[in-house]
Amino acid sequence: MTRVLIIEDDDATAQEIAAELGGHGIETDHVADGAEGLRRALEGGYDAVTLDRVLPGLDGIDVVAGMRARGVDTPVLMISALSDVDERVRGLRAGGDDYLTKPFASHEMSARLEVMLRRNRSQPQSRLRVADLEMDLIARSAHRGAREIELRAAEFRLLEYMMRNHGQVLTRTMIFEAVWGYHFNPTTNIIEVHVARMRKQIDASGETPLIRTVRGSGYVLG
Amino acid sequence: MARLSEHWRTSAFRLSLLYGGVFVIAVLVLLGLIYWRTAGLMIRQTDDVIERELRAFQLLDSTELQERIRHEMDRDVRNINVYGLFDRAGRHVVGNLISLPRGLPEDGSLQHLRDAHVEGAGPSSQELRAAVLQLQSGELLVVGRDVAPLIEIRAIILRALGLVGSLTLLAGIVAALLLSLSPLRRIRDIKAASERVVRGDVQVRLPIAGRRDELDMLAGIVNRMLDEIERLLGEVKSVCDSIAHDLRTPLTRLRAKVYRLQQELVDTPRHHESAEQAVSEIDGLLARFQALLRISEIEDRQRREGFADISLDAIVAQTVELYEPMAEEHGVRLTYAASAHPRVHADGELLFEALNNLVDNAIKFSPPGGVVQISLGADARGPHIDVVDSGPGIPLQEREVVMQRFYRGESARAASGSGLGLSIVAAIVRLHRFELELSGTASGTRATLYCSPRALGR
Repeated sequence: MTRVLIIEDDDATAQEIAAELGGHGIETDHVADGAEGLRRALEGGYDAVTLDRVLPGLDGIDVVAGMRARGVDTPVLMISALSDVDERVRGLRAGGDDYLTKPFASHEMSARLEVMLRRNRSQPQSRLRVADLEMDLIARSAHRGAREIELRAAEFRLLEYMMRNHGQVLTRTMIFEAVWGYHFNPTTNIIEVHVARMRKQIDASGETPLIRTVRGSGYVLG
Repeated sequence: MARLSEHWRTSAFRLSLLYGGVFVIAVLVLLGLIYWRTAGLMIRQTDDVIERELRAFQLLDSTELQERIRHEMDRDVRNINVYGLFDRAGRHVVGNLISLPRGLPEDGSLQHLRDAHVEGAGPSSQELRAAVLQLQSGELLVVGRDVAPLIEIRAIILRALGLVGSLTLLAGIVAALLLSLSPLRRIRDIKAASERVVRGDVQVRLPIAGRRDELDMLAGIVNRMLDEIERLLGEVKSVCDSIAHDLRTPLTRLRAKVYRLQQELVDTPRHHESAEQAVSEIDGLLARFQALLRISEIEDRQRREGFADISLDAIVAQTVELYEPMAEEHGVRLTYAASAHPRVHADGELLFEALNNLVDNAIKFSPPGGVVQISLGADARGPHIDVVDSGPGIPLQEREVVMQRFYRGESARAASGSGLGLSIVAAIVRLHRFELELSGTASGTRATLYCSPRALGR
C-alpha cells in the first residue's frame, strides 16, 4: 500500500488531499507542524510527501532542505499559496520535486503526486514501449506496430512525456509545463488541440485507441 | 535654452521686469527731485546777486552808473553777467544787452529770460535770470545773470537718467531670464514626473525643491492627492484580488464535489452530462479568476529578477509551434517570417505569455480560410513583433479600451475567452516598459509589440 505524508497546517486542505488520495487507494498521515513533519519524513516509510510552503515553526523550504540534507529522497510535492515564479524556483531548488499553487483542483494534485510516485522508480531509457507503440529516443522515431509515425518536434516531446508516464492521468497544466516548460495557464484549449492531433497519428482507424481522455481532468496513454 | 515666450510666461520673469520698471520710475523721481531742489537753490542765489546789484546801481547817477556797468563788465571774466542801460525811448546806452527785452515788467522783479540779444563775449547760453528796473531818471536798467551751471546740471541729470534707466532695465531683463531659468527647470521636472503618473506609475511623486515657494506648495498638494489616489487604487485592487482569491478556494472545492458527483453518475448519462457541463462552467469561472489574479501578480512584480537576454526569434518560433495545430483546427493559416534576429532584455516566460495571447486572439478572430501573419523585425523604434489577423478589426475608438480588464469588443462577444487576454498582455507590456500598438489593416487588425523599453521622458 502506498503511503503519503501530508504536512499541512490548514485542516480543510489536508482533508481534501486525504479524501482525494484515499479515492486513489492511497493511505495518508496528516501532520500540521513543520518540525514534526520533518521528524516523520526522516523516519521513513512514506512513498511521497505533500508539503505546505508556509508552515508554523519550521518552514516548508526548511523541511524539504532538511530531508535532502539527511539523504532522504522521498518525492516532495510542494503546495503553496505563493504563486510567484521565484517562489516556485526556490521550492524546487531546495529539493522539491513539483510545485502546486493553492487553491488547486484535487485531480491536479493527485495526478502530479501519482506521476511523482512512478517517476521515482523509472530509470533513464533510450527506448520507450507501451503496448505496440514504440519510441526510439536516440533515432528520434516512433512506430505503432510496423507503421512508422511522423512526428513534429512538439509532438515528439509530447509523446515522449506521455509514454514515460503511461497509465497516469496527465493534466493539461502538467503537459504544458513538461512539454513547453512554461508555468502559466495557457489561454485556451491549446493542449487539447495538440493531444487531439497527436492522437490522430497514434490511433489510426482500426487500431486500439491508446490515448484516453479523462473528462474534466486530463489524458492517459496506455 | 527655452524660448523667450516660455520665459515670459513665468511669474519670476514678469515680476523681475515689473520690479525693474518700478525701480526705473523711482530713480526718475529721485533724480527729478534732486534737480528741482538744486535748480531752485541756484536760481535763488542768482536772484539774490541780481537784486543786490540792482539795489547798488539804483543809488548811482547816470554817469556813475555807466562807469560802473563798464567796470563790472570788465571784471566779469566768466561772462555770466548781462547788463543793459536804455534811455526813455528804449535805445541802447551801454552794456552787452543790445536790445531791451520786451514784455518784462519794469519794477525790478526777477524773471526768466530767453533769447536775449547779447553782444560780444556774452554768456554762451541764452537763458538768463534778469530784472528790469526803471530808474528815477526814466532810464531802464537791465541786470541779468546766465544760469549755465543750471543747464549743465540738467544735462548731467538727464544723462544719468538715461544711463541708469537703461542699465536698470537691462539688469532687470537679465535677472528676470536667470530667475525664470530655475522655475522653468523645475516645471520641466514636474512635467516629466506627471507624465510618468499619467502612464500609470502612481508611485511617482512630484519633485519638491525645499524652498517652500508656490511651486513647492502646489507640488505638495498634488503629491497629497497622489498619495490618496494610490491608496484608493491599492484598496480597489486589494478588494478585487481578495474577492478573486476568496472565491477561488470555495469554487475549487465546489469543482471537486461536482467532479466526484459526475464520476458517480456514470450510469445515468443525462445527469452525467449535466454534471460535466457544470464542471466546465466552473472551470471557465476559475480560469477567469486565475487570469485576474495573474494580472495583479504581473503588476505587482516590480522586481525584474526574471529578466535576461533572450532571443525573440526563439520565443516567436515556440509560439508558432504551440499555436499551429489550433490555427489548423480553425482553418486559419499561420505564417511566420523573421527579417531580424534581435535579442532583448525581458522576462522570457512573460513575453511568451503575452505573445500567446496575441496569437490566440488573432486566430480566434480570423474567419476560416483566413491568415494570421506573425513577423519579427526591427526598425528605428527597435525590435518588434507583428501579429496581423484577417478578422473584423478593432474600431479606432475601441483600441484603447480593449486592454482594460473584462472589455470585449462588439465582435468578440461570440468568441470564447475570459476577456482578460489583452489585459494580461497590457500588464506584461507595462512591466517591460514595451509598447503595444493596435492598428487596422485592409483586411484585419495589426498588433505590434515594440520590444525596447521606452525612455522615461517620452
